[in-house]
Amino acid sequence: MKKIKLLFVLLLSGYIAVQLPACKKINIRETTTEDVNIVGYLDKRPDSFSLFRQILERTGTASFLNAYGSYTCFAPTNTGVKTYLQKIGAATVEAADINILKDMVRLHLLEDTVYSGSFTDGKLPVITMYGQFLVTAVSFEQGISNYIVNRQAKVLQSNLKVGNGLIHVIDHVLIPATKTIAQQLEENPEYSLFVQALKETGFFSKLNTVDPDTSNRWLSVFAESNKALADSGFTTYASLKGKYSQTGNPSSATDSLNMYVAYHISSGIKFLGDIITVATHVTLLPQEVISIKLIDQNVVINEDEFNGVLEKGILLNRQKSDNAASNGVWHDATAHYMVKFRKPTALFWDVSTFPEIMKLPAYYKRGNYNFTRATEADNLIKDHYWGWGPLAGTNVLSYLYSATSSITNYAVNNDVNMLPMGLPNRPIWWEMKTPPIIKGRYKVWVCYRAQKQSSSSNMLCQVEVNKVLMQRTMNFTENRPTGTDAELEAIGWKRYTENTTNLFASRLVGTIDFTTTQQQIIRITPLTGTQNNNNLDMIHFIPVDDNQVLPRFKPDGTKIFF
Amino acid sequence: MKKIIQYSFVFMLIAIAFSCKKWLSLKPQDGIVKEEFWKTKEQVKASAIGIYASMLDGSTGNYGTVGYIPSLSEQLFVWGECRADNISPATFTSSDDLELINMNTQPTNVNTNWRPFYRTINYCNTLIEKAPEVVNFDNTFTKVQLDNYLSEALTIRALMYFYLVRSFGEAPLKLDATLSDENITPIKKATQEEIINQIIADLKSAEAKAVTTYGDAASDKGRVTVYTVNAILADVYLWAEKYADCVVACDKIINSQKFGLIRGATDNGGIITYNENWFNTLYYNGNSNEGIFELQFDAQRLNPYFNMFSSSISVRRWIAFPEIMDQLFTVDFTNDQNYDIRGDAGSVRAATSTIWKYVGATNTALRTFDQSYAHWFFYRYADILLMKAEALNELGRGSDALSLIYAIRKRANALAATDINPAPSDKIGIQDFILQERSREFCFEGKRWYDALRNAKRNNYERLSILLNMVAQSVPPNLQQSAQAKIKDKNSHYFPIYLYELQTNKLLVQNPFYK
Repeated sequence: MKKIKLLFVLLLSGYIAVQLPACKKINIRETTTEDVNIVGYLDKRPDSFSLFRQILERTGTASFLNAYGSYTCFAPTNTGVKTYLQKIGAATVEAADINILKDMVRLHLLEDTVYSGSFTDGKLPVITMYGQFLVTAVSFEQGISNYIVNRQAKVLQSNLKVGNGLIHVIDHVLIPATKTIAQQLEENPEYSLFVQALKETGFFSKLNTVDPDTSNRWLSVFAESNKALADSGFTTYASLKGKYSQTGNPSSATDSLNMYVAYHISSGIKFLGDIITVATHVTLLPQEVISIKLIDQNVVINEDEFNGVLEKGILLNRQKSDNAASNGVWHDATAHYMVKFRKPTALFWDVSTFPEIMKLPAYYKRGNYNFTRATEADNLIKDHYWGWGPLAGTNVLSYLYSATSSITNYAVNNDVNMLPMGLPNRPIWWEMKTPPIIKGRYKVWVCYRAQKQSSSSNMLCQVEVNKVLMQRTMNFTENRPTGTDAELEAIGWKRYTENTTNLFASRLVGTIDFTTTQQQIIRITPLTGTQNNNNLDMIHFIPVDDNQVLPRFKPDGTKIFF
Repeated sequence: MKKIIQYSFVFMLIAIAFSCKKWLSLKPQDGIVKEEFWKTKEQVKASAIGIYASMLDGSTGNYGTVGYIPSLSEQLFVWGECRADNISPATFTSSDDLELINMNTQPTNVNTNWRPFYRTINYCNTLIEKAPEVVNFDNTFTKVQLDNYLSEALTIRALMYFYLVRSFGEAPLKLDATLSDENITPIKKATQEEIINQIIADLKSAEAKAVTTYGDAASDKGRVTVYTVNAILADVYLWAEKYADCVVACDKIINSQKFGLIRGATDNGGIITYNENWFNTLYYNGNSNEGIFELQFDAQRLNPYFNMFSSSISVRRWIAFPEIMDQLFTVDFTNDQNYDIRGDAGSVRAATSTIWKYVGATNTALRTFDQSYAHWFFYRYADILLMKAEALNELGRGSDALSLIYAIRKRANALAATDINPAPSDKIGIQDFILQERSREFCFEGKRWYDALRNAKRNNYERLSILLNMVAQSVPPNLQQSAQAKIKDKNSHYFPIYLYELQTNKLLVQNPFYK
């Protein structure tokens, strides 16, 4: 018995001996991360950020910047803040006007994380909490390149990742633009003639208001300096008014001076880096656009080709442009320009002359070539596109050329574009972008070489121009009926080729009003039937008042008027 | 009874004690340990071949994710082309690749991970350190054989450092082997000059040790010969602006008369005939008479280019710059039998903007996936001629340079529209001409960016405009001005050090541009 007791004691003491050291307190991590937040990061570096930290405290911003979220903070260093305080005439942070400080802080904060990878030549993708966009660029000084923000501050360190967002360290405080576009232009004597035109046409007040609704606030102005106007012969305002103001009342929307000014304003905030990403911009002059091209490094307005003639454009002056204002941005146009009023002109568009095939001299006007889209994401031809056919192998646009084959022997330039279409397997629509067409009212003729893949094939299609459904359908399997030109035109048909075979047919699908001079979009959508052999040769856009039947076309492309 | 137990216990103890030897040994059953390696010349050969094999290795991780480590052969392309103007992104290009095009590279960009290069360097270092010991164990291993293997390791190491120094500017210069974790120590960056000097010293020492031939074409083009050494030397001298030395190195290859240009086009009094087998010989099969050093991909070891370029898949990453035919090779619209053989169906397939060199099988047909073993071309004879031309031009021998350029142009039937016809005294004009001709000749061969940078930085960045004009074209319009301002900072021409390297090697200092 005693032995058992002894054994028990031994066992117990052994157990304790084993367990004792294990009794240490276990450290359980109660936090999910040890990353500091934006405020924490600033706190850790008082040498650089103590003043900005003070401002955050004073403006009541510190608490939410220390909470969960995703922000981007442009944090100015102490030297930057000191310069700023001097500028606003405050000795210390405590002495400064709290409302000015609040606005200033809000301009430094974005409610999203924006890495330096998103910095472009234009504005940041996210608006600041103050309600103005920040614009970025890169400066080059003394052998070193730096990002700059709002042309006010250099980025010293970028993409510092903290718990609730990102910090970019900047060397100066960003100051919000307080003046409107109108005020900025008015202050600048170089633009006195343009400003006077703004005032007399009533646009000055529009450019002088800051709409509280940010979706309507922003405007972009292309201002002409006195020098630009003088180069075109307008040395005084009177001469400008004399030239354009035919009604004598510039505030009327039908007055040409009013139109001139409206044509220089576009809604939305568009810095040069933003402008050049879109080819055309709508102006305040109804239905009139300006086109934008980047030629080498120059931003050029309205350099366009019409009917084969290149019209030289107007250069924007980079150094004097991108001027941010409280309600938008204004740029400097180096020359005088005015909206061009063009007479509607017919476009006889041979759809098979597109740059992608012309680049292949072995095929263009020599032989057949297939443009095969391997996947839906592929886009081989810039201006010809189609809805992906469920059967992958049908997504082929064929360029057919032959001077002898019965399909193309009488076609214009002996070539057609062929695309399979129709449910269930083939492409579900066919869309094309036309060359620029001058605004006006046009009749639309689809010219094709009729063909049936098999005797039972049918290919009834509807046509939409700029998403407007055309009045008539057309059918790629249907031959041209017989009759005189006048009889045919009355029922919406014409012969567009020199040869009289009724396989080459031109179908009037409808009439369309183009409200804007630009590249228009035409889409052919199959309604009934499906087949491969949809041979499209031309599309004619002819002003309603012009002769709709003539000219016709020879296989070499020349026009004939009989 | 008790005794029996005692004796049997003692016996068992003895039995266990003796049998324990094998059981306790920690040697792997299926491998070989360091102490037993480096004993025979066969082992030295195996590790020399291993150096080449390491350059063929594939990528790890998934493309487009942060864990992706590109393969060396992919990086050769990406580093050499993606900041230049001959390529465009395709549908599947990752954001890291786009960053390179946009001149927006961050230290987190997977393309800046230099691991594949330093891995191969370590293989070289190991051979350089351990192979000389083998002489003590293997009596049949001669000094000449040892020298030959050393020349291979020294040359490949130099080549790897040459890529690093051109891509990063400054990089750690690690010349001893990392055999185990104990050898891992933080190491500082060496300057560009230090690295270049080391490369030249290594190559010179390799030149004296290298073979002229291994006896078969695949080894002659796939392993280091004295011509490989001289080709790299010429390139390094050109980079280091030592033009007379460059000419000497080129002449050693030219005078060997072992190499020539594969016939492309012949002009018979205005009628041009083309060699139908040109593409097949030079690019599809590789190891042609023109090749000097090529990465030997084969059916067992496929290259990564199918996934990068092939138009037969939806996930390709890179396409040719869409205007490349119009601007670089140009097109004769009046005569379709007059074309630059390097253009459509040579370097590029214009209809699909496909980078054709590595994925084309014939003029029109693509390679299938299992045929994706096009070689990577480090150096071709054409390169030697154009490097010599560049050096001659800098030495003031413009007319000699021009005759070399025209020899290259004639072989390919370069079109008249691309002949800028500079005067022999027009140094700048000839520089531009060579740069353009190199862009045509080595289109997508990973040389474009380095060519542009070498010409831009010559004489203390005398011609920075070359890079400025290039980014004006290659960067999207909304980033153009920023990219140009960045490129004026010469630190931006070199990659940032990858974040992982900075975190693990505390002695590294980031390139100041990437703040």
